[in-house]
Amino acid sequence: MAQPSRWGTPSVFTTAHRSAGEAFRAFFDMRPDEVDQPVAFSHQLHLEKELVCTDCHEGVERGPVAGLPSVNTCLICHSQIATDRPIIQEITAMQEKGVDLAWRRVYGYTREAHVRFEHAPHIRAGVDCSTCHGDMKQQTVARRVVEMDMAFCVNCHKAKQASNDCLTCHF
Amino acid sequence: MAHRWGMVVDLDRCTGCEACVTACHAENNIPTVGAAEAARGRAMHWIRVERYWEGEFPEARLTFRPVLCQQCDNAPCEAVCPTYASHQTDEGLNAQVYNRCIGTRYCANACMYNVRFFNFFHPQWEKPLQLQLNPDVSLREAGVMEKCTFCVQRIKAAKSEARAEERELVDGALQPACAQACPAGALVFGDLNDPESRVARLSESPRGSKLLEEYGAEPKITYLQRQGWHEPDAQ
Ligand code: HEC
Ligand code: HEC
Ligand code: HEC
Ligand code: HEC
Ligand code: HEC
Repeated sequence: MAQPSRWGTPSVFTTAHRSAGEAFRAFFDMRPDEVDQPVAFSHQLHLEKELVCTDCHEGVERGPVAGLPSVNTCLICHSQIATDRPIIQEITAMQEKGVDLAWRRVYGYTREAHVRFEHAPHIRAGVDCSTCHGDMKQQTVARRVVEMDMAFCVNCHKAKQASNDCLTCHF
Repeated sequence: MAHRWGMVVDLDRCTGCEACVTACHAENNIPTVGAAEAARGRAMHWIRVERYWEGEFPEARLTFRPVLCQQCDNAPCEAVCPTYASHQTDEGLNAQVYNRCIGTRYCANACMYNVRFFNFFHPQWEKPLQLQLNPDVSLREAGVMEKCTFCVQRIKAAKSEARAEERELVDGALQPACAQACPAGALVFGDLNDPESRVARLSESPRGSKLLEEYGAEPKITYLQRQGWHEPDAQ
């Protein structure tokens, strides 16, 4: 398991990081707020056209993972809409070649945090996406606008009398 | 009423095939450490099948006993943990919170069933074996203890699904990997607080006993074995 984690820190706990900068960033929990995505996707533009989150994040009401859209999902609409734009033509070409968009993750935890999050119970309990992800209408590609540390989770669980046993989130 | 997870192991059914061991490794991302380290006692098997020989050849008889965490009500591993990483949940599981674990290994020494394992190494899976890892289960790093969880990820998923569909859990629908894999049906898992469940009824069986019961750890696993078993007369 020598793959680096999303934050560039080694995927397993080691006292020795690969570089001093990496050790520093890991120690102070500094993560990039914005990451480079393969295409300049805009939440703002799509949400203004009255799209809903589940058009692209299909799993969010059903299971633990929301899911990031594949080229096929984009092309459900974009085989008809805005086909003259270069980005859309690029995506169409990708589908023809059978390659997918390699979205880079924005939210998430390091492996050593052992956090197991589930979307569906929150959506059922009426927790709004913006509580945890901020107002997406203000974002182009997603940015980390909410710092979801343990206190953030546990405080709401306490307030809403949701389960707060360690095994709720760590196993 | 809260669930109280327990298990019954029917030794009269167990053939010692070790399907449970394999299934457990696959489900729970349990690493292997290689022959040399295994010889030093560092192998990790959340469930193992112990072999017992009785009698002398040619009258020898071989019996098997699958041993996993007994999920004790009065668990010796919990009392000794200085960080509460090892603790009892409301549903009677002996939980191990990896984040909290600082690797004192007191718990492993306190456990008389030898079912707690220390990660001496960073887990490694040679490519492409990393692709078979179960995404629902954490990968434990070097320096933490790990143990049978009764497949808590399956318990959580089943409860979550039941809540979404606004129904109760059905007895038998939820199984840990070992019980699911057992071809002889020797492992029965369920809710001991539900008097109608198979596990609750079987644990009342006159064939039942608990492992090392005399030490008072109050294990939640019952072993079933016919008493006074003898070879049928060879006529
Ligand atoms: C209670 C807080 C919370 C709420 C509410 C929430 N999320 Fe998340 N979301 C998270 C966390 C935490 C992660 C990171 C999970 C991880 O990587 O383990 C995440 C990850 C994601 C991801 C990327 C990973 C994945 O699961 O595919 C997407 C997309 C996402 N959320 C979309 C949504 C949408 C859409 C909604 C509303 C319908 C929503 N989220 C509501 C906390 C939340
Ligand atoms: C549910 C339908 C739908 C889906 C799915 C969808 N889009 Fe769009 N998209 C639209 C609409 C509607 C517009 C606005 C078109 C316009 O401005 O004329 C748009 C516009 C765009 C534009 C802007 C074009 C421009 O320059 O004005 C880009 C880029 C784009 N989408 C990319 C994507 C990508 C990438 C995906 C897949 C992740 C995707 N879209 C999925 C409906 C969709
Ligand atoms: C037209 C498709 C589309 C719609 C509609 C959409 N998203 Fe996204 N979303 C994406 C794409 C593509 C990405 C990956 C690129 C990025 O990170 O912005 C993404 C990423 C995200 C992420 C970051 C996930 C991570 O951790 O990597 C969050 C959070 C998110 N979306 C939330 C939402 C919410 C909340 C809504 C509804 C208000 C929504 N999205 C609606 C396409 C969409
Ligand atoms: C704004 C309030 C709120 C926040 C913030 C929140 N949760 Fe929750 N969460 C809830 C509620 C309410 C439920 C209970 C839903 C139910 O009972 O079905 C819940 C349920 C859950 C469950 C499923 C519980 C179970 O018994 O299986 C998990 C896992 C979970 N939350 C993890 C998290 C994590 C991790 C975070 C932080 C990233 C978080 N939650 C942040 C409100 C919140
Ligand atoms: C509602 C969800 C939730 C519950 C319940 C919860 N945690 Fe956490 N915990 C988190 C999240 C999310 C993080 C990750 C914070 C981060 O990385 O910024 C975390 C991080 C931690 C960390 C730090 C791990 C690290 O290496 O950074 C420890 C230790 C920890 N939790 C212990 C516990 C213990 C002990 C309990 C039970 C008493 C518990 N947690 C209950 C959500 C939860």
